Amino acid sequence: MGNSQANVVKTGLPYRDSRVCCSYKNKIDDKVLFVNRVSFLGQNRSANLRKAQLRFCTKASVQSQPLPSDRDSGPLSSARPKSLDAVRLFVGLPLDTVSDANTVNHAKAIAAGLKALKLLGVEGVELPVWWGVAEKEAMGKYNWSGYLAVAEMVEKIGLKLHVSLCFHALKQPKIPLPDWVSQIGESQSSIFYTDQSGQQFKGCLSLAVDDLPVLDGKTPIQVYQEFCESFKSSFKPFMGTTITGISMGLGPDGELRYPSHHRLAKSSKIPGVGEFQCCDRNMLNLLQQHAEANGNPLWGLRGPHDAPSYDESPNSNSFFKDNGGSWESPYGDFFLSWYSSQLISHGNCLLSLASSTFGETGVSIYGKIPLIHSWYKTRSHPSELTAGLYNTAKRDGYAAVAEMFAKNSCKMILPGMDLSDEHQPRESFSSPESLLAQIRTACNKHGVEVSGQNSSVTGAPGGFEQMKKNLFGENVVDLFTYQRMGAYFFSPEHFPSFTKFVRNLNQLELHGDDLPVEEEVTESVHTNANTNIQVQAA
Amino acid sequence: MSTVTIRPLLPSYRRANLNFRDRTNILLKPNYINYSIKSAPNARRFCSFKKLQKITVSSSTSTSTSPATSTDTTPVRPGDVFFKETFPLKRTHAVEGKMFVRLQKGKDEKNWQLSVGCNIPGKWILHWGVSFVGDNGSEWDQPPKKMRPPGSVSIKDYAIETPLKKLAEGDVFDQVNIDFDTRSDIAAINFVLKDEETGAWYQHRGRDFKVPLVDYLQHDGNVIGTKSTFGLWPGALGQLSKMILKADTSQSGIQDSSSESCELKQENKHLEGFYEELPIVKEIIIENTVSVSVRKCPETAKTLLNLETDLTGDVVVHWGVCRDDSKNWEIPAEPYPPETIVFKNKALRTLLQPKEGGKGCSRLFTLDEEFAGFLFVLKLNENTWLKCMENDFYIPLTSSSCLPAESVQEMLIPGKAEEATQEVSQTAYTAGIIKEIRNLVSDFSSDISRKTKSKEAQKSILLEIEKLAAEAYSIFRTTAPTFFEEAAVELEESKPPAKISPGTGTGFEILCQGFNWESHKSGRWYMELKEKATELSSLGFSVIWLPPPTESVSPEGYMPRDLYNLSSRYGNIDELKDVVNKFHDVGMKILGDVVLNHRCAHYQNQNGVWNIFGGRLNWDDRAVVADDPHFQGQGNKSSGDNFHAAPNIDHSQDFVRKDIKEWLCWLRNEIGYDGWRLDFVRGFWGGYVKDYLEATEPYFAVGEYWDSLSYTYGEMDHNQDAHRQRIIDWINAASGTAGAFDVTTKGILHSALDRCEYWRLSDEKGKPPGVVGWWPSRAVTFIENHDTGSTQGHWRFPGGREMQGYAYILTHPGTPSVFYDHIFSHYRQEIEALLSVRKRNKIHCRSRVEIVKAERDVYAAIIDEKVAMKLGPGHYEPPSGSQNWSFVTEGRDYKVWEAA
Repeated sequence: MGNSQANVVKTGLPYRDSRVCCSYKNKIDDKVLFVNRVSFLGQNRSANLRKAQLRFCTKASVQSQPLPSDRDSGPLSSARPKSLDAVRLFVGLPLDTVSDANTVNHAKAIAAGLKALKLLGVEGVELPVWWGVAEKEAMGKYNWSGYLAVAEMVEKIGLKLHVSLCFHALKQPKIPLPDWVSQIGESQSSIFYTDQSGQQFKGCLSLAVDDLPVLDGKTPIQVYQEFCESFKSSFKPFMGTTITGISMGLGPDGELRYPSHHRLAKSSKIPGVGEFQCCDRNMLNLLQQHAEANGNPLWGLRGPHDAPSYDESPNSNSFFKDNGGSWESPYGDFFLSWYSSQLISHGNCLLSLASSTFGETGVSIYGKIPLIHSWYKTRSHPSELTAGLYNTAKRDGYAAVAEMFAKNSCKMILPGMDLSDEHQPRESFSSPESLLAQIRTACNKHGVEVSGQNSSVTGAPGGFEQMKKNLFGENVVDLFTYQRMGAYFFSPEHFPSFTKFVRNLNQLELHGDDLPVEEEVTESVHTNANTNIQVQAA
Repeated sequence: MSTVTIRPLLPSYRRANLNFRDRTNILLKPNYINYSIKSAPNARRFCSFKKLQKITVSSSTSTSTSPATSTDTTPVRPGDVFFKETFPLKRTHAVEGKMFVRLQKGKDEKNWQLSVGCNIPGKWILHWGVSFVGDNGSEWDQPPKKMRPPGSVSIKDYAIETPLKKLAEGDVFDQVNIDFDTRSDIAAINFVLKDEETGAWYQHRGRDFKVPLVDYLQHDGNVIGTKSTFGLWPGALGQLSKMILKADTSQSGIQDSSSESCELKQENKHLEGFYEELPIVKEIIIENTVSVSVRKCPETAKTLLNLETDLTGDVVVHWGVCRDDSKNWEIPAEPYPPETIVFKNKALRTLLQPKEGGKGCSRLFTLDEEFAGFLFVLKLNENTWLKCMENDFYIPLTSSSCLPAESVQEMLIPGKAEEATQEVSQTAYTAGIIKEIRNLVSDFSSDISRKTKSKEAQKSILLEIEKLAAEAYSIFRTTAPTFFEEAAVELEESKPPAKISPGTGTGFEILCQGFNWESHKSGRWYMELKEKATELSSLGFSVIWLPPPTESVSPEGYMPRDLYNLSSRYGNIDELKDVVNKFHDVGMKILGDVVLNHRCAHYQNQNGVWNIFGGRLNWDDRAVVADDPHFQGQGNKSSGDNFHAAPNIDHSQDFVRKDIKEWLCWLRNEIGYDGWRLDFVRGFWGGYVKDYLEATEPYFAVGEYWDSLSYTYGEMDHNQDAHRQRIIDWINAASGTAGAFDVTTKGILHSALDRCEYWRLSDEKGKPPGVVGWWPSRAVTFIENHDTGSTQGHWRFPGGREMQGYAYILTHPGTPSVFYDHIFSHYRQEIEALLSVRKRNKIHCRSRVEIVKAERDVYAAIIDEKVAMKLGPGHYEPPSGSQNWSFVTEGRDYKVWEAA
């Protein structure tokens, strides 16, 4: 194509695309949303009822909020449309959506991405809101402008928003704690978790300081609370309408756990057992008090002396040995009970704070539980133990956690829904599927609704299949958050399979027996939009 | 912040036959005169703002720079200058003039003369040719030798260029006279006027001028002469043309002419002389600069601002000052510089002082410290103002360190506004789609249409989703440094490369471009090529790229008309099958050159515009994109760039895509093509390409995505990431189903070899700087093709350096393509040697390249640890470590070794 092309080269005509021609400016009505939405039978009606009674709060004055009324209606068979409960699909926005200068990163890409998601029939997006961004400079000095801009974008497109309040720091992309917190940490390193060898984890505050006035005279809980209040008043126009769910950051990566695995070497494919994080001064104080109260003051001097270190396997020291390990000894039980109960009361504290703050806004509150699946097939479950989840072959550690969630009327985010046993290295004695089942059972028992998430951002092998498995059948999930928008998400390697996944969900819907005949092709049943929930800590 | 100017890669140039499609029949549709552009001669003044340089001198450093503002009387101490910038002032100056066309009797009835003249000073060229009686097509032919005035140059085989000259001293018009014999069988003389200084073409209503010499051409809408009138169009090449013709044409004349033409129909070979004048406007771009430097005067605590320009004449600075960012003009307190007047109490007007020597003028302004900025525009006369991108120039007067940033932001504002607009329109677009969906959904009450409708809706939505995702992807990938550049490649590499993925072959392909720009001439190219099949195969080629096979308005095949008619100047369909079979027999795959962007029409629509198609694919104007005014398409707007010489196909139409897919499948099955070379894929969205490739499952496919590299000050930039990114974006839009020609690599090789700048061959990450560095398995490397080289030479590889180019692409990853002309030249043996190195060492498109040297005069790389090569006169020897390297081949400034 010779000459004429030469001419075009020269002029560089700016015709780009065809979009400019349309000039509709209708606000999108989410009710017209046309594409797919997964619907299936909800099964925890009774659980919800029970939950209503269970709800109370220990710390703050928490109201018990009435449950969405449509859930209470009648037996499954009678009112079909109401009994169809949809898995609402959310997609996580990039972790660094809002930069530390409070501007929206890659705004154009996000705008295009939101439109694509909307057209695809996705319900909403999850937005990580960072402590280190919004309260970066000084205590009480909040800047929400970047996040507000995102909320507006989302609202304009007609999507829902699930906000994850993140009180932790992140390495990749680098999102630190607030500057003023880091400064305090420099002079007062005991606000951070410390392991046996004295190494500190500076990715979040130690739960031991929750109620100590270490932050310029305020306790971290107070600071978190004020953060939540400020968020609530700043986002008032969106609450309950665009913002349908908030998850409360509970620890490292937002999850309810100790940072027991933060120093794992990347080289090894088999994760080690991790380390107990109880050696900062304040933790040791608590342990000491607890030991004295139990009449064993010597047990309160330090953590277990025979636990392996981060990269090591359970058998490299005696604490986690399957037979006759110290974990089964009275000391072991003493320590592990204390260690895990500290975590649960930390979680309880934060979730009740969130429930009381956001209770009347019509949003659902979530907390995230880690899925620590390596060494699950051993008797001692060492990785879970170091993370603070006292779950062994002899003891169900998740019942107490679920109970705590139920108490606060919070829903539980479970990651790892894309992980299947067959793709785990055999030597890690791992079983994400069994662990997931165990936690879900605990939740069912306590009437805690579960919302799902995938763990691998770059796509676990067979991930989509596994997720589908986890979203149907007996598995009830009120919401699923797919992680996470970014270059890989939209790449030709990934996006088509994601689209297929979404359409597959739709396919299942279409072929479901319980669908009314008239919803044949592309419309979807929209039950309710607002009573919903989202998940996702970053 | 440096200026990036996009320099045209190619000289502007056109073939005579490119523009014949646009037949507006002036005789039948007199109202068409409305199409001509009215250009107000003085209305277009603008000044574009570009930062040519920015020097920020902080007070503690630099005592060596001496500001250019040396006309000051006050001695300037460089340390005090905190702002200095030169802004370009660009304005267009319109020169009005006339051109005339005259047909008159010469020395007798048999000899007539056509004259064309123009009274605007400049270098005018008449680009012309003739049509012979009996020629059906609209192609030109060269006139007989005796018709050509002295000084004529022939352009290919179809046109002549003759410069216009003043016939006598003192003539107002430059002109050219063409004498011809009325007894010859010339049916018409066609021409366009070309301004050699600006490269602009001057056409007649978007088409060539045509002076008919026999009557039956009269129905053709583009005639000129007898009583017909001129309707003028600024040229089919749209923005290329710098000339604007003023509208004139008289209504009455048109009516006359239609009746006239009817009369003429009955008379054969009756010539009538005529003389027509056409007003034309030539726009000349005038470039000047204005430099501003600001410094503090420590003694007086004043700010001294020196303004200097190379404009001549009376230049008035219309200025004011402001106190903050809001840029509210105010007038400072006196004293003012000499020759200053207060204008309406809003601004000051100061006449600049001519510099000594007469080159430009300048003025020094003394300002109080309290002001934050200096605002100005330049005034040349009452009608000519020079602004900065439609805004006032703004010069910050405070020297805090954030200043440069501030002024940068300043510059960004117009861009931001643009983005915002686009944003809005895109939202509106999606909203529109959603609304349409809603309508569809609510339409569901009508049972019959329901299913199909919703299916269509779903399809269009999925398409839209893909588009948006592609857009999001391209932005994310460029903003996130985690771009999958090599990650994807790495992944691919872990697989055995022998696996065939659709569209991208095995990875071991070596392409041969099996034709050049002249191949159509013999009329039996297929048969000629067939004889070379065995030879090409034995040289090591595995894929042959054949020329476009369809019937075409241009002999080379790139202006297709009836897609199912495979009779071309290269041979007929049987010969095509024959040559395909032959290549299959020798074990090679065949790529068909398919032109999907545009298609020439068979018929005119009711307005006389050629946009109705015939043949088996008898599309109407819905198949033509809506945004090229020449073809009045009724389709959607183009999803890519427009190719202006023929109707661009609207690929967003389902029926168009369905027909194209069927056609491609037919080519696959009926002819036996294995894959495609896709012409001009910049013209439409890559997602459609994906659609076509998925439907036809080619063995190999490569798209021609060709646009300009970036240059700064006429020097090619080292970093061509933006250029290769655009190509990658296209590949991505096509979901990686096709590769693309690595134009970036060719461009960089040009500079590196031609100027001895071999450092250019490594990018900032130490990888090859072209597409091949980012996505080697999709890069088809080449150094020349029928457009860039051959007899067209639009962007020819540096002469004599070709073998270095081949030493590069044939040893490096990517899929190399070798040009026919080079194979059958004196380079043959060297190419053969390199081909055998590539084959012997199993270098493939994903081979790993380690660049070991990229210096001024030498580039060296080791590929797959098996082949070492160097380019350039500098010294390099492969390391004598664990591996034993043995020399294999060499040539001028290149050398290749193999691991033993």
